[in-house]
Amino acid sequence: MAEERPGPGARLFRYDQRIATNAARSTFSAWHDRLIAATVLLFALAAARSWLLDRAWPIAAWTAFGAGIMIGLTASRQIAMRLAFHAFDGPLAADALCLALRRRYLIAWCAIGLTLLAIFTVIVRPSLLIASLPGYVIGAFVGHVTGNFSIAGVGGGKAGFGRMLRSWIQRPGAGIVAAAILPLSLAFTAQYLRGDALIVVAGIGTALSGLALTIVDDSSVRFQTIAGQGAWRIIGRQARGAMLFVGIAAPVCAFVFAPALAAVVAATSIATLLLMAMRTLAYRIHGKSFADFIVSILTGLLILTAFSMPIVLPFVGIAILWQLQRRSAARTWLLA
Amino acid sequence: MNPIIDLIAVSIERTGERVVRHVDLTVIDGSWFGLIGANGSGKTSLLRALAGRLPFASGSCRIDGVEMIADRPARATHFGFSPPADTLPDALRGREVLELVGGDIETIWPRLGPLREALGLDALLDRWIGDCSAGMRQRITIALAFAQGHTRVILDEPFNWLDPVAAFDLRQALRGMVDNGLTLMTALHDLGTLAVACDAGIMLAGGNVAMELDSRLLETAAKDPQAFERQTIDQLRAASAP
Repeated sequence: MAEERPGPGARLFRYDQRIATNAARSTFSAWHDRLIAATVLLFALAAARSWLLDRAWPIAAWTAFGAGIMIGLTASRQIAMRLAFHAFDGPLAADALCLALRRRYLIAWCAIGLTLLAIFTVIVRPSLLIASLPGYVIGAFVGHVTGNFSIAGVGGGKAGFGRMLRSWIQRPGAGIVAAAILPLSLAFTAQYLRGDALIVVAGIGTALSGLALTIVDDSSVRFQTIAGQGAWRIIGRQARGAMLFVGIAAPVCAFVFAPALAAVVAATSIATLLLMAMRTLAYRIHGKSFADFIVSILTGLLILTAFSMPIVLPFVGIAILWQLQRRSAARTWLLA
Repeated sequence: MNPIIDLIAVSIERTGERVVRHVDLTVIDGSWFGLIGANGSGKTSLLRALAGRLPFASGSCRIDGVEMIADRPARATHFGFSPPADTLPDALRGREVLELVGGDIETIWPRLGPLREALGLDALLDRWIGDCSAGMRQRITIALAFAQGHTRVILDEPFNWLDPVAAFDLRQALRGMVDNGLTLMTALHDLGTLAVACDAGIMLAGGNVAMELDSRLLETAAKDPQAFERQTIDQLRAASAP
């Protein structure tokens, strides 16, 4: 990498800052969107505060430290991926390739993440600052160091195996294979675990299978949108594996084990399908990073609703899908 | 006849595979250099590497006489480059993306010269990129390559998505700018444009130079474009045959 050359230093940062600002304005342009976001934020803060205050300080501190590491790691990986995009496909590649400007960009976004984490920690339990902030710094450092290795392949296209695996997982056959593996693995586990413990294992196994079967490739969604495919058609195509999985695994589990276990398998599968539908719709509207951010907020809202008012959960889920679908339906592609 | 780009035996790797092999080319200052070839023949990789977006695996890349084979940032600084139209951010307006890259719009206009009108940019300034058609996005990406005032510009298939009028106007405007000193490198699929607008070029096939197109050959091609098209298609078929 060369040293910094004369030029507008903060241009790269301003570019992404403007995208983020515009996307946020557009997403929360209606009063009910802002209300939902504010409600989710307040709920999340209240829940985190309540949970952390109920814990002994050492447990709360280790939790804050762990969360800080995860947030720092995620932030620095996202920044590294964004820089890789800029250097390969962006209009400011010269800036993204300049070592000094890269460092400045990285520090600016990491500092924003650190500030937000500090504000969050001060609100939920100020004494945890001593744990969350060092955790963030460590996570960001680890993400930066490891990111330099894994992101090096971006543009060089060394993701062949991952692409092949993703492509195979999205085939309906993968759902059948997963549906066969789950009852077999539960039958094996049942020799050692019974009752609630087995149900928990079933839930974890279903969640892992469901998440693997509903991986959403943002570029694929974007391409299908460009090609004129409707939202539900894209979702339907992506849901085939997971639908086959739940369609086979739930009845088999009900027959072999217990209806309660089958209900957990069905409910967890539906949750992963809902998550996949939200991500697909969000990718039709926004770029990947911002779409993931929106989906994480909505997922938080759904989790809070599930804990506080489970009876309302289906209505909230439907309302979220309807709202996303309404926005994504406006996405068209003109060739002229 | 001052050569500003001199590539000697350059190779490029992607996905661990060598996609451009031992390519030599020279681009003269103030000329339009065209690259043609089948899909996957290495045109985009070569242009991207020249513009610093990809590393060269080997060879020599001299720009203005300075060796830059290992210096991606220097190459990226040297050239204006149009990013792929589908990677432009939906959440910016035309004016915003141009100003973020090139500064104040009033500073950018003189740099664009005749392109402002040829690309119909005034109508795109207040439009969200997310609401733009493929052709509109393409116009903005072409403008971005010139927004910083580069006099050496690389455009990857600039006529894609454009309607016939816009493609004609763009070709005229680019040719005029080249005549006034711009050095332009473009990947093309349109043999007619290559024949009538370019000063020199190469045909790539399977990552190798299959044919060199010098100014004399292109002058002949401009006089009889149909014969040139027939001859070039035969060459492309032969080069891509197993």
